[in-house]
Amino acid sequence: MLPVRQAFLIAYMTGILWLRRNPISLVFTAISPFSLLFVLYVATDGAAVHFAVAGSLVMALVGYGLALGQDISFYKTEYKIQDVFVASPVSPLTYMMGLALSELLFGLPALIVLAGLVVSFGGSLLSIPLLIATILLIWGSMSSMGFFLSSHMLHMRNATQIISFVNVVLAVLPPVFYSIDIVPDALRPLAYALPTTHASLMLQYIIGETPIPADWSLGFGFAVQAAYLIGFVILARTRAIWRES
Amino acid sequence: MLAIDAVGVTKKYKGSRMLALSDISLKVESGKVFTLLGRNGAGKTTFVRICATQLTPSSGTIKVLGHDILQNASEIRNLVSIVPQEGRPLRALTPWDHVYNWLKIRGEGSSSAREKTEDILRKLELYEARNRPAMNLSGGMKQKILVAMAMATKAQLLFLDEPTIGLDPVSRRQVWSAIKQWKSNGGSILLTTHYMDEAEILSDYIVIIDKGKIVAEGTIQELRRIIPQNMRVDVSKDGLDVNSLSSYGSVVDTGGGMLRVFTFESAARELSELAIRHNVSFTVSPVTLDDVFVHLIGQTIDKGDTNGVGQNERN
Ligand SMILES: Nc1ncnc2c1ncn2[C@@H]1O[C@H](COP(=O)(O)OP(=O)(O)OP(=O)(O)O)[C@@H](O)[C@H]1O
Ligand SMILES: [Mg+2]
Repeated sequence: MLPVRQAFLIAYMTGILWLRRNPISLVFTAISPFSLLFVLYVATDGAAVHFAVAGSLVMALVGYGLALGQDISFYKTEYKIQDVFVASPVSPLTYMMGLALSELLFGLPALIVLAGLVVSFGGSLLSIPLLIATILLIWGSMSSMGFFLSSHMLHMRNATQIISFVNVVLAVLPPVFYSIDIVPDALRPLAYALPTTHASLMLQYIIGETPIPADWSLGFGFAVQAAYLIGFVILARTRAIWRES
Repeated sequence: MLAIDAVGVTKKYKGSRMLALSDISLKVESGKVFTLLGRNGAGKTTFVRICATQLTPSSGTIKVLGHDILQNASEIRNLVSIVPQEGRPLRALTPWDHVYNWLKIRGEGSSSAREKTEDILRKLELYEARNRPAMNLSGGMKQKILVAMAMATKAQLLFLDEPTIGLDPVSRRQVWSAIKQWKSNGGSILLTTHYMDEAEILSDYIVIIDKGKIVAEGTIQELRRIIPQNMRVDVSKDGLDVNSLSSYGSVVDTGGGMLRVFTFESAARELSELAIRHNVSFTVSPVTLDDVFVHLIGQTIDKGDTNGVGQNERN
């Protein structure tokens, strides 16, 4: 029970208290996920709106995971706050959970709007649990990835570079904002190897307005997504640097 | 039980050719303030971080409060609390936010957390500023937030890595009295500092390290005896025959046109009379930890302030 309480308290400190004292930061995190949505909507005269919404939601979640990575390396190198946590009864996973929750809090306004759009396109209330599960899966795997990456990056400058690179690999190159049908057959396995492809397909599936490839199913999507979540959590637990060597 | 029992601790950082710590063995008794002194880069922080389970040693064994740092790190983490070197509080959060929530994270109930937070904030004179975001506080006040977080906990062993850096003389004394109170409640402390007066006032035992090796250790009294003479006289260079000074004791150039003569009471008196006759300013004081430190590390450091204990100034 204590780890859960600790995680919520960390989220409270770094999320709620921070926002209460610094509410303006919410505006920026709330607006940024809509930039690509806006461009795609305008550029295609609304035709690509379903892809754009699914893509923006995925990209936002990738962004929260990576922002977590950035925050963590900042807390570690600049504030030395991680030092204080390491030499305390807080476990690395609890620390990660707490900061990931606070990241989610910052993203909540945008998430609610984007998730609302998905549901309004999909039209079915039954899709809400599926949507929430999808969001949690992506959030969890991206957060643990962010934590894992951050703890291996010693310098802030490095962190920012790695984070933008990973963002491109996960959210820009794969079929997150566009149809997987466009991807040449030879590259499809590669696209399917990335969790974000499945995340976008799951959202497209819920929306139900775009063609779903025959070789993909919801179960497949969940399996890959869950595998990434478990894999990254294990990596974060065992390979993330908590005590330095 | 020993607070820390270190045997043969060696540390070599990845990618570094030098040893940051070389075969360090030391014992820290419970309920005592144990101080590590040493120049920049001597290895103090490295040792503290290894003991506080933040860093692994390359070899050697350390038991902290009876637990092995590698095998039983989680037991240790329940029992210790740290002030990291050059830590900073979270900008948007207030002193109260930091201390109160940190106590709750460490398992304290709300009412006792509230009580302890109020108590430590008052002690460190942060109470007035308790609701101001850290980014609007001065550097010293920010540092005191970190000290408050660590000292409000009910840990048994505190690691304080330069806790009073950047604090004004009054604030430093507030931290000192918090440290003394911590000790009187039975707690142990591993302290590092560059302030020799602080070490002198607080320490029960001191270890001086240089380039990763222990060069001296003991109580203040024991360390003072490392310098054979017990008095020192600081005199201005001008107007005195520098060569003749060595007949009074060993002479060190402390820079700024000043010489320091280590000597005994009777010779100190003669030297003072000589200085008076030549109308040269001088100061007589007992040998301090500072002198021992400089003597051992073998460097002359330009010291504008000779903050000797029991200073005795005459013109
Ligand atoms: N992360 C690191 N990687 C490589 N070398 C390091 C690292 N941290 C410290 N060192 C080296 O280890 C040695 C000891 O450093 P340490 O920080 O322990 O010194 P210190 O006694 O605390 O100094 P200061 O008084 O300046 O705080 C130094 O030579 C330093 O350059
Ligand atoms: Mg240091």
